[in-house]
Amino acid sequence: MFDPIPWLILSPLIWATLAFVQGPGRGGRLAVAGVALQLALAATLAQQIIAGGARVYAVGGWGAPLGIDLAADGLSAVMLLLTQAVALPLAFYARAYFAAHAAPLRYFWPLTGYLLAAMNALFLSADVFNIYVTLELLGLAAVGLVAVAGGAGPVSAAMRYLLATLLGSGAYLLGVALLYGVYGSVSLAALAPLIAADAPTAVSLAAALMLLGLMLKTALFPFHFWLPPAHGNAPAPVSALLSALVIKASFYLILRLWFDLFAPIASVTAAQFLGALGAGAVIWGSLLALRQTHLKMLVAYSTVAQVGYLFLIFPLATGAAAEVAASAWQGGALQAVAHGLAKAAMFAAAGAMIAATGRDEIAGLAGVATRLPLTLFTFVLAGMTIMGLPPSGGFSAKWLLLGAALASGQWWWIVVMLAGGLLSAAYVFKVLRQAFLPAEEAAHFKPLPRTLEWPAFLLALASLLLGLWASEMLNLLGAA
Amino acid sequence: MKALLNIAVLSLTGALGLVLAWSILDLPASAVRLPEQVTAQLDMSGVAHPVTAVLLNFRGYDTLLEIAVLLLALLGMLALPRQASGSKPRPVPASPMLQTLARLLTPLMVLVAGYVLWAGAHRPGGAFQAGAVLAGAGVLLHLAGLLPAWATPGRALRAGLATGLLVFIAVAATLMTQGTLLQYPPGWAGALILVIEASLTLSLGLILAGLYLVLADSKVQA
Repeated sequence: MFDPIPWLILSPLIWATLAFVQGPGRGGRLAVAGVALQLALAATLAQQIIAGGARVYAVGGWGAPLGIDLAADGLSAVMLLLTQAVALPLAFYARAYFAAHAAPLRYFWPLTGYLLAAMNALFLSADVFNIYVTLELLGLAAVGLVAVAGGAGPVSAAMRYLLATLLGSGAYLLGVALLYGVYGSVSLAALAPLIAADAPTAVSLAAALMLLGLMLKTALFPFHFWLPPAHGNAPAPVSALLSALVIKASFYLILRLWFDLFAPIASVTAAQFLGALGAGAVIWGSLLALRQTHLKMLVAYSTVAQVGYLFLIFPLATGAAAEVAASAWQGGALQAVAHGLAKAAMFAAAGAMIAATGRDEIAGLAGVATRLPLTLFTFVLAGMTIMGLPPSGGFSAKWLLLGAALASGQWWWIVVMLAGGLLSAAYVFKVLRQAFLPAEEAAHFKPLPRTLEWPAFLLALASLLLGLWASEMLNLLGAA
Repeated sequence: MKALLNIAVLSLTGALGLVLAWSILDLPASAVRLPEQVTAQLDMSGVAHPVTAVLLNFRGYDTLLEIAVLLLALLGMLALPRQASGSKPRPVPASPMLQTLARLLTPLMVLVAGYVLWAGAHRPGGAFQAGAVLAGAGVLLHLAGLLPAWATPGRALRAGLATGLLVFIAVAATLMTQGTLLQYPPGWAGALILVIEASLTLSLGLILAGLYLVLADSKVQA
């Protein structure tokens, strides 16, 4: 049987390195071919997991704990599919964006390749130290991509991002060192039963450090300070990749650690605390999104808010009845996927609007409705998922989370979710209202190539259809 | 306000340090004993030194990703748009004394790098250390005015920077025809590890030298 697991990691590593050798500005075709191949590989892996259950792959043939194991289950397959499914349209989009923009492309493609390699390796890793290496690869690639546009804003945003992401990895690594000190192993499979059997204080400290580091990387409120400048200042294809995928990688690790590795020591109080931070993110992020005057900053603050919903999983699924926990867990995973697709579409649409109008201010959007109907429609569809309107994926996700909150009697999360929904409707409509105003006399719209509009539309459409395909996705998620 | 913040940060880090120290003093004996497993499997690893066995064989996959991290660090620096290099493409020529010394030392450093690479199989050494020595030679040559800075690496240099990673990936992928990723067939491990380490030495030397030489000449736009 052909095994897609190693190739999902090798493919982006290979094309990124070849694109680097080709030189600045080159490698777009290689990237498109490579990501298309990876999408096929991820789909193959998903089918294999549905048919045969979770998989373990022993790199080097040694097996944990001496060697490094890779592992793939339903959740990894969902995240791998999301990553490649978002990256493929964005690869087409990025080619058009940089061609239309004459923006300095330089080493965009190799950096993107290493970014995807890092994410695929992270989703497949079953070893806490190996995860650290993938986090470093991911962080450096993301920082490089933020800085790729040059200029004072992006470079200082990239530096701030670099410091935040390094601090996060540092805290994570400290936790890994403590775990190794206590148990003598870094393999997830070896550690889980040991932690369940006996967990001294050092393990709680390790858990706190690792989770804090990852929360910083996920930009959970109040650690979100680095995200809006980094995502708002980067070129649109980069913002889309970072907001849709990169923060989900560290969130995925928090899920894994909380529900697998540290489940025996995870307390309800800590879960409520995580939920409270999530609620803070939903409210604060939405309020700040509403106050933004620049389109990409608005979309970036919307990411801060949407990340908050993801953290409602923890209070809803920790210490709850199995059915409630399953519903919360599914809702959270669905939210991660729906937000990934919708936010990529939203940033891509925002980039197209900015390319056409030549302005980043929301005030400059008047007339977009008549001149760029497809791109505005994309923004609307993506906005439906962000607001959680049916039949979008965002609706199904928030419905499952609401159901879990009702069933467990935690009404306060329902209040947060409803308030967040209303606030997100307010900031989406703030953009739409401006776009539907008649164009100013002096306004000049640059014609856009079709490849700058269609990839974003497909992503938005996928985020909407996810609501109808939710049962297939949940089926894959549940395959163990 | 700033003093208050400083005190808060200081007391937080101090508290973390104390808790860390206290929990480290209290560590139980490890349940898993990896050093013993490494010793037990050392004969199978193709090399006689445990560190090299872990880095290139048992946990070779980590090393593969780490090489990508190093290349990426340099790539991140190259990706920053920079001002066109000014009127000083080369450093001020150093004294003839330093130039002569650099010319004498460089071949010696290459020789040392070769030895350190070879020694890695059975004693402390290997590609990282050998690459660092090579990089040192590169920096020395630049300081002596014999090697220009690398503001924009050409294709040959980029190929050299990438060779180590590409050879590593090629070996790892080829081995999948026999088993899993990076699973050395019995008897071949030593030779394959030497091939990987030799190409890594070259690329790591270039990458580490690049971290210095790329910045030596150009100012990043800010």
